[in-house]
Amino acid sequence: MSEPDVLVVGGGPAGVAAAIELAQLGLTVTLAEQGSRLGGAIHRQYVGQGESPLAIPGRHRRHWQGLALGLANAGERIRVMVEAVFLGVDGDSRFLLDDRRAGKVIGLSPKAVVLAVGAIERIVPRPGWELPGVTTAGGMQLQLKETGEAPTGAILIAGNGPLPLALGAQLAAAGNPPLAILERGEPWRAALRHPAAAVAGLRSPAHVAEAAGYALRLARAGVPYRSGWSVTAIEALRQGLLVSCQHVSGRTMQHRVAHLALHDGLATNSSGLPAPVVDGVAIVRAGDCREVLGADAAISDGLRAARTIARQLCPAAPQRELARDFERELAAARRMQRSIQTLCRAADWPIAPDTVVCRCEGLRRSDLDSLQGASSAREIRLLGRFGMGACQGRSCLASVKAITAEAGASFDITVADPVVQRWPLRPVSVVALAAFSDV
Amino acid sequence: MSGTLYWMGDAVAFRAGETVAAALRRSGIDDFGPALGELRARYFCGIGSCQACLVSLNGDSLIEACLTPAREGMRLSAALPLAEEHGHE
Repeated sequence: MSEPDVLVVGGGPAGVAAAIELAQLGLTVTLAEQGSRLGGAIHRQYVGQGESPLAIPGRHRRHWQGLALGLANAGERIRVMVEAVFLGVDGDSRFLLDDRRAGKVIGLSPKAVVLAVGAIERIVPRPGWELPGVTTAGGMQLQLKETGEAPTGAILIAGNGPLPLALGAQLAAAGNPPLAILERGEPWRAALRHPAAAVAGLRSPAHVAEAAGYALRLARAGVPYRSGWSVTAIEALRQGLLVSCQHVSGRTMQHRVAHLALHDGLATNSSGLPAPVVDGVAIVRAGDCREVLGADAAISDGLRAARTIARQLCPAAPQRELARDFERELAAARRMQRSIQTLCRAADWPIAPDTVVCRCEGLRRSDLDSLQGASSAREIRLLGRFGMGACQGRSCLASVKAITAEAGASFDITVADPVVQRWPLRPVSVVALAAFSDV
Repeated sequence: MSGTLYWMGDAVAFRAGETVAAALRRSGIDDFGPALGELRARYFCGIGSCQACLVSLNGDSLIEACLTPAREGMRLSAALPLAEEHGHE
């Protein structure tokens, strides 16, 4: 294996689009994907025989077919590595990949890097969110896309925004519609209060058609869509889960289910990623890890990232004609996201003392409260172990920030302690590290 | 089904190409064993981010069940079998 011109991390639409564009501009690319196939979360491939039972919107299918064709045409200029996890940048400015197929860590020294590692789902902690049987909505959807099979037993979806609708419709298509979809916001009321946001949402015919398709399937399956409802607590029963829900009016309700899917919105998956330039190497973020704009915009953003890198690496080369107006596409996606945020806005609730905040270390809010006097991110981490677990704080950062801000402390680890972001971003075996090699 | 892996010694069937977590879920295994703070390991985010689904492969290295493709004969077990007894300290 030789050193690539550009390392692209993430095999979803942004990363694949960037890799294809870079290859077309004459650069060599290593495209590293953590899963066993390309596609990312949005284009997770069905592994069963024949067609997936889920009705995947035609636009998403076409987009992925186009990207797959571009990859095939790029030939050897793009080297795809699957089961290759980005670990960070070491002290010698090497970009480390855990090549799990080869069982070793490798260090790359490319001229530029595209990070396209997508979004993470925001989950506001509530009692019982850490129990087996509770997943994120995206997590449940990924397994559904992969297997074409819905989990067995009663399912409840409780979330915020459009993803719960897609998941609900796909569960119905797979033969096990959810008991209900609970939406924390009140989109119909919000539309009356903010008509401009509603109109902005309607300006994207593709999204409107997709949402209408989901709504129709949910209506046919008799799945109720209840707005203004939140899950307030989850208890483990001998069999399944008891889910307590509350409406904004104060009304309460309980559901017994086998599976609960939670979703409190999306956030950039940017925690712990390296700075824009490391030792002269440009690092450009693309897709949802730069700004959550969704799958369509991720392709445009991947192309934009590739052009940014090409301008730096080959300044003398003639600029390619813009076949598409990236900026206009990104602006349209931004308008759509703002509309969704306005229509589905919901207040967060206070986190109770016994609620698990850091799942990796099994720490509760009361553990954080007992750190009175710990006023910096460094103290909160070293004394309390918040943000120090296997997930490196990706899951608890937002909650710890919010709770410590109430007490007048700061948990901004990048500002408080810039050197604190160290590799590995993910657990890596000592055996793989011992087998380390440069390219 | 195209293969068999083992969870805590019990045979679990899987289909080629699917992840360990998908195979475990089909077999009704949601609880992946003890975790720190008297919690339980489990599948959650599906994208290798939350690390809640770490399991031990062949008695040693920890893997994310949500990312790792199921392979014939894999022996999987709880990542932190002693977490329950020792608690957080």
